[in-house]
Amino acid sequence: MFHLLLAADPSVPNDIGGKYVAGAYVVFIVLLLIYVAIMAMKLARIEKGLGEVAEIAEARKEAAPAEPTESEAPAATTHTVTPGPAASGATAQETRP
Amino acid sequence: MYGKGLRPLSIATVVMWAITLSLVFFYAPIEADQGFLQKIFYLHVPLAIIALCGYVIGGIFAVLHLRRDDPRWDAYSYVSIHISVIFTVGGLLTGAIWAKGSWGHWWVWNEPTLVSFLIVFLLYATYYPFRYAIEDRQRQARYASVFAITAGAFVPLNFLAVRASASLVHPRVFATAEGGLPTSMLVTFLCALVSMGLLWATLVKFELSAKSAQGQLKRLRRALDAPVGPPSSRIAPEVH
Repeated sequence: MFHLLLAADPSVPNDIGGKYVAGAYVVFIVLLLIYVAIMAMKLARIEKGLGEVAEIAEARKEAAPAEPTESEAPAATTHTVTPGPAASGATAQETRP
Repeated sequence: MYGKGLRPLSIATVVMWAITLSLVFFYAPIEADQGFLQKIFYLHVPLAIIALCGYVIGGIFAVLHLRRDDPRWDAYSYVSIHISVIFTVGGLLTGAIWAKGSWGHWWVWNEPTLVSFLIVFLLYATYYPFRYAIEDRQRQARYASVFAITAGAFVPLNFLAVRASASLVHPRVFATAEGGLPTSMLVTFLCALVSMGLLWATLVKFELSAKSAQGQLKRLRRALDAPVGPPSSRIAPEVH
């Protein structure tokens, strides 16, 4: 590792001090990279979850019957799961901004 | 909401780090006693200072959580402590490397500064099992806040006790009568401190944004009656 650093930047003193300084800064960068990698995995999971939720929402939208008339409206709300606050009181609570 | 201002903060962090590294390697003079090895000072000391400040900030957020009963403050406290623990690990590792180069040993057990810093790290390492051992979210948040306040108060007391004690080998740069550092080194050090502070703030904001996105996704799943996944008391706290 130190030889690579020396090749990249010959100004680094080629003594015992330079070796430890390079080691300390490399450890710091590796620590940051590990953190970033863990966060990237978390974000990938969130992205995957969002994709699944979007698929469910789209599938339900396609499966739902055409816009109900006013006389059919109460029956539609009890038998279909409509995304958004109109579905039920509890759902309306959870999805408020 | 939590991601607001993340981009300018990230840019400021990168710019400050570029300036700091330039100052460290091209402006700050080589120290007469330790030589090039002293360059670790500009990494190790800001890491330790910002980590300790982060614990105190986590304690302040915990006070706000208990006073206002708002889970957002619990999230701030949790994330502050989490990032500070990572910085503490960095401080311990860089300190050990510096100690090996300077004193010939990775660790010196009879040095109060080193041991007290390790104690602080071990104290905060117990925060996670303590928190995750409680399943009820509200109790979890309350107990974690009490822990954060108690431990946060311990940090400055511990620091003062160490400063008052006799140091064996660890240097006390800022304690000498003349201030210890020449101007060029002091400027470089202050830049490094600001850079580290900005990095800490950026990571806290980044982590909060990720947690917020996770929380929003769960809400969306619940709203759609979609499977939420396994019970998530470990992923604490949930931010909306």
